[in-house]
Amino acid sequence: MKTVIKTNGLSKTYTNTAVPVEALKDISLEFKEGEFTAIVGPSGSGKTTFLNVIGGLDKPTKGNVIIDDVDIASMKESQMFDFRLKHIGFVFQAYNLIPVLTATENVSFIMLLQKRPKEEMNKRAKEMLEQVGLSDKLDVRPNKLSGGQQQRVAVARALASRPDFVLADEPTANLDTESAFNLLDIMARLNKEENITLIFSTHDQRVIDRARRVITLVDGAVDKDEAFDRD
Amino acid sequence: MAILFTLAWRNLWRNKRRTLITVSSVLFTYLLAVALLSFMGGFQEQLTESMIRQDTGYLQVQDAIYLDEPSMDHIFEYGEEVREALAHFEDEIQYTVPRIRGFSLAAKEMSTRPAMVNGIVPEQEDQLRDLSGNMVQGEMFGQDDEYAVVGAGLADLLSLGIGDTLVLIGQGFQAVSATGKFSVGGIIEFSIPEQNNTMVYLPLEVAQWYFAAGNRLTNLLIMTDGKDQIHQLAAHIQEKLDEEWYAVRTWEEIVPDMVELMEMQRLVYSLITWVFYIIVGFGIFGTILTMLYERMREFGILLSLGMKRYKLAMVTLIETVIIGLLGVITGITAGIPLVYIFHRFPIRLSGGMADYMHSFGMEPAFRFIMSPGIFMTQGIIVFVITLFIGLYSMRKIFVMDVLGATRS
Repeated sequence: MKTVIKTNGLSKTYTNTAVPVEALKDISLEFKEGEFTAIVGPSGSGKTTFLNVIGGLDKPTKGNVIIDDVDIASMKESQMFDFRLKHIGFVFQAYNLIPVLTATENVSFIMLLQKRPKEEMNKRAKEMLEQVGLSDKLDVRPNKLSGGQQQRVAVARALASRPDFVLADEPTANLDTESAFNLLDIMARLNKEENITLIFSTHDQRVIDRARRVITLVDGAVDKDEAFDRD
Repeated sequence: MAILFTLAWRNLWRNKRRTLITVSSVLFTYLLAVALLSFMGGFQEQLTESMIRQDTGYLQVQDAIYLDEPSMDHIFEYGEEVREALAHFEDEIQYTVPRIRGFSLAAKEMSTRPAMVNGIVPEQEDQLRDLSGNMVQGEMFGQDDEYAVVGAGLADLLSLGIGDTLVLIGQGFQAVSATGKFSVGGIIEFSIPEQNNTMVYLPLEVAQWYFAAGNRLTNLLIMTDGKDQIHQLAAHIQEKLDEEWYAVRTWEEIVPDMVELMEMQRLVYSLITWVFYIIVGFGIFGTILTMLYERMREFGILLSLGMKRYKLAMVTLIETVIIGLLGVITGITAGIPLVYIFHRFPIRLSGGMADYMHSFGMEPAFRFIMSPGIFMTQGIIVFVITLFIGLYSMRKIFVMDVLGATRS
């Protein structure tokens, strides 16, 4: 399988604190196409920092992140904006939909920034909303949707543009059990159907139980990297 | 671009009340500024019109140095050269008003008073300012009369009545001693005390004889359709006259103090409007800043998703511009009828204020001026202020820490 992301000796130290904090220590990992990976660990273990660095939102202090044969750690900010837009999908803990846009518009938003043709955009947005079970909420704004529904729209938004991989930062943290299971089912299905690499940071056991690979971080370093056969 | 506008427009209506209050503050500031400047413009127009009618005309032909040394030694010959020069512009010139004027001593028996002796052609003066309408006793002289008309105040001071003899002693052309004895044929009343207490009117030819001035004048007033083209016309007439002997002056050159005073008044009013704008500017700035900071996280997310900074910055700029435009458009929509009402139906004054304005020969009413320039300029100023505020919010987006914003 094709390697989607590769990190070599990735370290991140925050120096803007009273005492420098080593958030990531020498992490070298590879993520293959179509993987469903959970990054787990206690609070402060570096899960979110790791996602931020491989998502190009933060720069590593040392090491590099190779995506599509390009070291994104050396990219300029403007290049990084384009790179994120083309290659990476994001799902955030607090949904973070654009409140003034409808569900369809939210899902189309990334494709709109990518300047995809309008017809393709609308078709894909509808298709994705159907896939996440929200075909009856196409023209509804986020404030009229439940938390679970909003997160499903966020997933549809992240996947609609067919990115190389999707980073999800604790996507089920704000959801009740039923909504969380529902979301995980959808993500697992889309992972298979669309063959999109999914990387979650989580300490939700429900997510961990679905992941086919679980990487445990402790104090910014990889403690365990386990593979599971979930089929 | 459409999505940027959609985002900006919908963002504005997320908090309708706040947006409406901000737009209203722009609207009312705009209205206040327009009303204030239209009032000032109207007042200045009245003042100018009154001065042009009472005293200066739009243009004057004078002796070349009369403006600097206004004496009987610097009067000009109103002969063929001047008449021919003016004849070239008969389409632009409505009419002319010839005058000769100089100070003299007015005496009756043992009393003397300073007097301004004016040689006039009554028909032409009436065309300018209905001088005969101010007669309170007797009547204005005609072409063949030789009697004097005296200001009511001067008549009181010298105990002059109709039929009495007025003696004038002064200096005529080229230091000739001017003396004359005239019968008082009429008494005229002015609301300006200075005029009332000093004015003596004589038929033009009689005054020219009194001043030993031949056919000379101190000023030839020129009235045109309006004051728009007077500078051009003055220059053209001047080209036809020998500038060694004649000068064509605009009313602004004749009364520079008045022009300066009006300029100062304009400056004060502009400062007042700028104070309004600074206040409303801070109001808009506060709103925009609030809108900006309460959406920091949202902006961080949009940038994380791959939206370019300049596009996001454009959204915030469009929001500010929409607020400014809505304020200006509603301001213009409300301002035009408002100013028109006060233009068509001026605020009438009564009592002391009315007397005061009347004493300057002005209509005792505040009439607003309808000037597209005022609406345009104020609109542009508001727009530029909002644009400036928008640039601040744009700058904020450009320097925003994306990760920090997503965590805010």
